[in-house]
Amino acid sequence: MSESDPEYGHLVPLLREFASLTDGDPRRDALRDEIVTGFLPVAAHIARRFAHRGEPLEDLVQVATVGLIHAVDRFEPDRGSDFFSFAVPTISGEVRRHFRDLGWSMRVPRRLKDMHVAINTAVSELAQQLGRAPRPSEIAQRLDLPVAEVLEGLEAAEAYRSSSLDEMLSSEQGSATVGELVGAADAELDRVEFRQVLQPLLDELPPRERTILMLRFFGNLTQTQIGEQVGVSQMHVSRLLGQTLERMRKQIEL
Amino acid sequence: MSASPDRASHESIVEIRTEAGPAMIPTIRAVAADLAGRADFDLDAISDLRMAVDETCATLVSIAAPESTLTCRFTVVPDMIEVEAAVTMASGQGTDAVATDTFGWRVLQTLADNVGVLELPGTDSAATQVGIRLVKRAVTDQR
Amino acid sequence: MTESAPRSGHLSTHVSTPSPGRVIVHVSGEVDTLTAPELDAALDRQLDGPATSLVLDLTGVGFLASSGLAVLIKAAHVAEERGVALSLVTANRAVVRPLEVTKTAGMFTIHDSLVTAEAALDRDGTGSSEH
Repeated sequence: MSESDPEYGHLVPLLREFASLTDGDPRRDALRDEIVTGFLPVAAHIARRFAHRGEPLEDLVQVATVGLIHAVDRFEPDRGSDFFSFAVPTISGEVRRHFRDLGWSMRVPRRLKDMHVAINTAVSELAQQLGRAPRPSEIAQRLDLPVAEVLEGLEAAEAYRSSSLDEMLSSEQGSATVGELVGAADAELDRVEFRQVLQPLLDELPPRERTILMLRFFGNLTQTQIGEQVGVSQMHVSRLLGQTLERMRKQIEL
Repeated sequence: MSASPDRASHESIVEIRTEAGPAMIPTIRAVAADLAGRADFDLDAISDLRMAVDETCATLVSIAAPESTLTCRFTVVPDMIEVEAAVTMASGQGTDAVATDTFGWRVLQTLADNVGVLELPGTDSAATQVGIRLVKRAVTDQR
Repeated sequence: MTESAPRSGHLSTHVSTPSPGRVIVHVSGEVDTLTAPELDAALDRQLDGPATSLVLDLTGVGFLASSGLAVLIKAAHVAEERGVALSLVTANRAVVRPLEVTKTAGMFTIHDSLVTAEAALDRDGTGSSEH
């Protein structure tokens, strides 16, 4: 994101100014409000990405806005990275923390993946309580599920699934740099008129990359879910997405 | 594979016979984990049993006569599973064929509640069968 | 902790070098008598190379046999000899339990995710030429 950016470019000098103000400066609050208001669409976009997890969008937008405020407060323009690369992971992290704090008492749909998360959470809680690993019957009682389903869940779980809801959500980012890239490019893509710019670029992509991109931004699936559909690991999806988006971003900028 | 539930004493027996080679060991440990799960073993006990069964089969397979059979018998009773595995040894192997001074055997002793070498009568005078018997309880001790 | 499924024996390893000096060996599948030598060879190769820190990502490992455990212990010794910082990434009972029950967990630096493992290395300033 640079000063020439049509939508957010005007906020860049404001960010620099904000960073230079001392804590006590009377201009700080008003300036921060202006910057946060300016970037609100970015926060809203990120909140929307988590909208399918059963939490009301309003709450998510509120949480994402808090994340945006943190990002504005902590951003250091001299460090070289642009605001998006810094803000997007900060905002996403805030939303993920929100889900983690809800804990496993959150209503978990009975899809195998979610059951696996519920099982793992129940297992760690029971292990602490009992002072040893729990038995399937104890897990079943805890989750109010038939033992047979718990056994099925234990057997079907794949080794590289995450151990807790937080892990599952954070694993969506893949490696830190690629995750930031996806986040930043993600926010930019949202502003691009689909038909005019995206369609010809999408058409040029190899089928698998195109599928992954479509699933991510239009199917709103997590990287792990995409991996399952396409038959590759979540890390691989993260890598491919990063590469594809970088390529597209370069083409859009030209 | 054959299974016979004996309801009177709540004992189930599952016996697997395969070629004495490494290829079927993943299946045998999958059976071990499945039986332990259904017997309501705690998750650590299931993991331990799976690893112990793997170690047992791998050890026996390494001293088995070529083209011979590995037998693995699970006896499931409330709160415990007993495993008896056996092979016909390669010619020249003696009663001390199962090495008990190895890293693998020490791990096996740690995993199981009880483990020992079994010398079994062979099917003919030329071949000797050797086995390993181990016992694993359903619930691991509290930490 | 993650619960894992029994899978028919297979192992795949994949090496990535996120920054100069830092190597990640990603392992998935099962480490048993048949596949342990492959892991051993992969680790030997990396410990013999220019890496100053080696992260062994075992997130995808669904089973660890005693032969696999032996490979890990050997890697810990060689890493120490060569001055390579070795860390393991796993949250899976199939790997954690053997380390716990044989009381060998203390030989390793264990993280439950790749992100925390790399963050720890960044904090220590190891395995990166950016300092």
